[in-house]
Amino acid sequence: MDSTPDALRTDGLSVTGVRRTFKVEGRDIAALSDVSLECAPGSFTALIGPSGCGKSTLLRIIAGLDRPDQGAVSIGGAAPLEKCREGALGVAFQDAALLPWRTVRQNIALPLQVLGRSLQGHAARIDQLIELVGLKGFEDARPGQLSGGMRQRVAIARTLVTEPSVLLLDEPFGALDQILRRSMNLELQRIWLANRPTTVLVTHGIDEALFLADRIIVMQRNPGRIACIVEVPFARPRHPDLFAASEFHRLEDEVADHLFGAPAA
Amino acid sequence: MKAVAISVLRLGLLLAVWEICGDLRLIADGALPSPSAILWQWWQDRDVYPPHIWATVLPASIGFLVGNAVAIAASIGFVLAPALERLMRGFNIAVFAIPPIAISPVLVITLPGIWPQITLAAISVYFPTMLMTLLGLRDVDPRPIEVIRSYGGGDLAVLRWLRLRSCLPGLLGGLRVAAPAAILGAILAEFGSGSRWGLGSFLLGSLGRGNPARIWGIGLAATALAAIAYALCALLARRYAAASMVTIAQGVTLEPRRRAGRERLQDLALASGAFIMPFVIWWSILAGFRVSPVIARTPLAVWTFLTEGPGAADARGAILDALGQSLPWAGVGLVIALSVALGLAVLGVVWRGVTASLMPVALVLQTMPLVALTPIVVLVFGRGIATTLVVTVAVTFFPAFITIAQGLSQVPKPALDLLDVYGASRMQKLRFVSLPSSLPHVCAAARLVAPAALLGVMIAEWLATGYGLGNLLNEARGELDYGMIWAVAFVAIAVSVAFYQFVRLIETHILRRFQPATGA
Repeated sequence: MDSTPDALRTDGLSVTGVRRTFKVEGRDIAALSDVSLECAPGSFTALIGPSGCGKSTLLRIIAGLDRPDQGAVSIGGAAPLEKCREGALGVAFQDAALLPWRTVRQNIALPLQVLGRSLQGHAARIDQLIELVGLKGFEDARPGQLSGGMRQRVAIARTLVTEPSVLLLDEPFGALDQILRRSMNLELQRIWLANRPTTVLVTHGIDEALFLADRIIVMQRNPGRIACIVEVPFARPRHPDLFAASEFHRLEDEVADHLFGAPAA
Repeated sequence: MKAVAISVLRLGLLLAVWEICGDLRLIADGALPSPSAILWQWWQDRDVYPPHIWATVLPASIGFLVGNAVAIAASIGFVLAPALERLMRGFNIAVFAIPPIAISPVLVITLPGIWPQITLAAISVYFPTMLMTLLGLRDVDPRPIEVIRSYGGGDLAVLRWLRLRSCLPGLLGGLRVAAPAAILGAILAEFGSGSRWGLGSFLLGSLGRGNPARIWGIGLAATALAAIAYALCALLARRYAAASMVTIAQGVTLEPRRRAGRERLQDLALASGAFIMPFVIWWSILAGFRVSPVIARTPLAVWTFLTEGPGAADARGAILDALGQSLPWAGVGLVIALSVALGLAVLGVVWRGVTASLMPVALVLQTMPLVALTPIVVLVFGRGIATTLVVTVAVTFFPAFITIAQGLSQVPKPALDLLDVYGASRMQKLRFVSLPSSLPHVCAAARLVAPAALLGVMIAEWLATGYGLGNLLNEARGELDYGMIWAVAFVAIAVSVAFYQFVRLIETHILRRFQPATGA
């Protein structure tokens, strides 16, 4: 795989004035109220916030899975649905969302089939991806035979199969235990550095956000909105030692203060 | 090895007792012939069986293919266009609730050749396959849907890559229920057709001949045929859904999801459409096939028959009398079957062995053409009310037991654990958890087996007792009283649907109490 970042192929994304309300038992709940966000091409942004702050809704709107009541999303100058049909988006959820009757290889190939692309032309790429996520030897295993972490790796490989310019990750490691989660964070960084797609990661973990992202968007609820933005200055590639660095802890506390409403230090 | 030996020993013992009872004419003066007599009769009849079996299997197979093709197409249509499903709900319920024997004469007078058998087989097959396929198509993991949508895939892409494959276990489970139903449908059409060939005709023709061995032989052959059909589909199903034990009992809920207030009007329109649709389909089939209006009666003609002209009052009287004779017994049979089923299922919660030993038998027997064995019941129990009750209970008990027992097995374990913490006895667990939570399942069972109860009563009346709706239908058929044939068929279906809806109402009421309180 070509490991040099290809800035030309990577799209930036912009969210402008997005508002989304849901009706819950007759009352309007403002999941998102006037949210705007710019992500430069090749950037890594983490969305963090309490349950109900609309971070998943925002991600779904960017992915074209939901529509805003007001405002617009543009990915590289085009509407999300247009980009979907080009295979420019890769989406992963907390649940690996694999098809149980398909093998690892077939699951990774699903996006290609939905997009109507030839499978033969991509056989080599699928093998590379399987190797990249460390599942060599499990090509023909079915999801039922894999552990939770392995399934999540298949899901990550699947999001990469179309060489997406934008990667949207909704708590992809949320269901994994802390130990597995940390090693998956390292792998995600390695995978991301290989192609540098513009990435938005929704997470509950402050450490995960700090380790992976260029900046952290802290959101608040009622109504769902962006509370503040924290820039993450660490150089890449980041090493696991970072988790113990004092600057890391200082930022961790800063984000926590924003999250829990105490005044920033 | 030891278990096998014991089973073989048991079977041998059973056969020996049966042989002795048969040889000594111990039961109902020889109504139960010995196995050896049945075997000997089979051997003597060996030349006539092949054409009879062929005459049943051919239309049953065509009906199986046609009915399933329609069912699969319909369920795909329903999942792609949910409004269509709601519009066709009345039709679906009517097809489910039709007592096959009620429309058998209608089909025989309207359709040529083996088409009545094909049609009744197809109708018998449609509902189980449609329902199970629809459930399979609908209940898919929502996350992969989003994956497909995030690549711009629409409803058709979701259908192709996700729904079609994930409905396979449901579809195959449906086929397994449908296969014996097709055989039964074909046999019941023969009861009404007066044709020479087919196992149903053979059975009916042998009823007055005083040869119990032959009647038992035909009954066992029909059962074996249904068992083979079941086994073939079960084999297919095993390949794709090894562990999932699917029965039709689980999911007869064509429930509308709760809708927002502004959609009420649309709801109302769809509901009235659903009510009118069966009549529209009835009318358009007749119009499409250009059947002579003397024979084929439109909904309007049936209404006229019952309300206008000099004979209308008599016809109404005859039908009301017949209903008065049939419905109480259908009700009594239903209540007996449900009570026994509930009792055994609840006992099974306390003493596991009850369910464990009864369940496999019930699973197999619920798919067997029990109503087609009515002549055997007549042989043993005579031509009185006993026969009516035995047939009705026999056809309703097994599916009712399965529904209730499976429902009870789904009682949340924490609820029982909680009682254990306080040292509750078996009886207390029964009283506080198992019995209350069985209520919805008793309702579901009643709804499921009510049409079968009506079918059982009508068959017994038709073949044996000479009372009620079944007898009225048989007489009308003998006298070629087309108006009455259609009217009885319509009334039987209407009663069956009305009962279904009535139980649904009770069930909805009960289920509302069972739903967990919804928080914000």
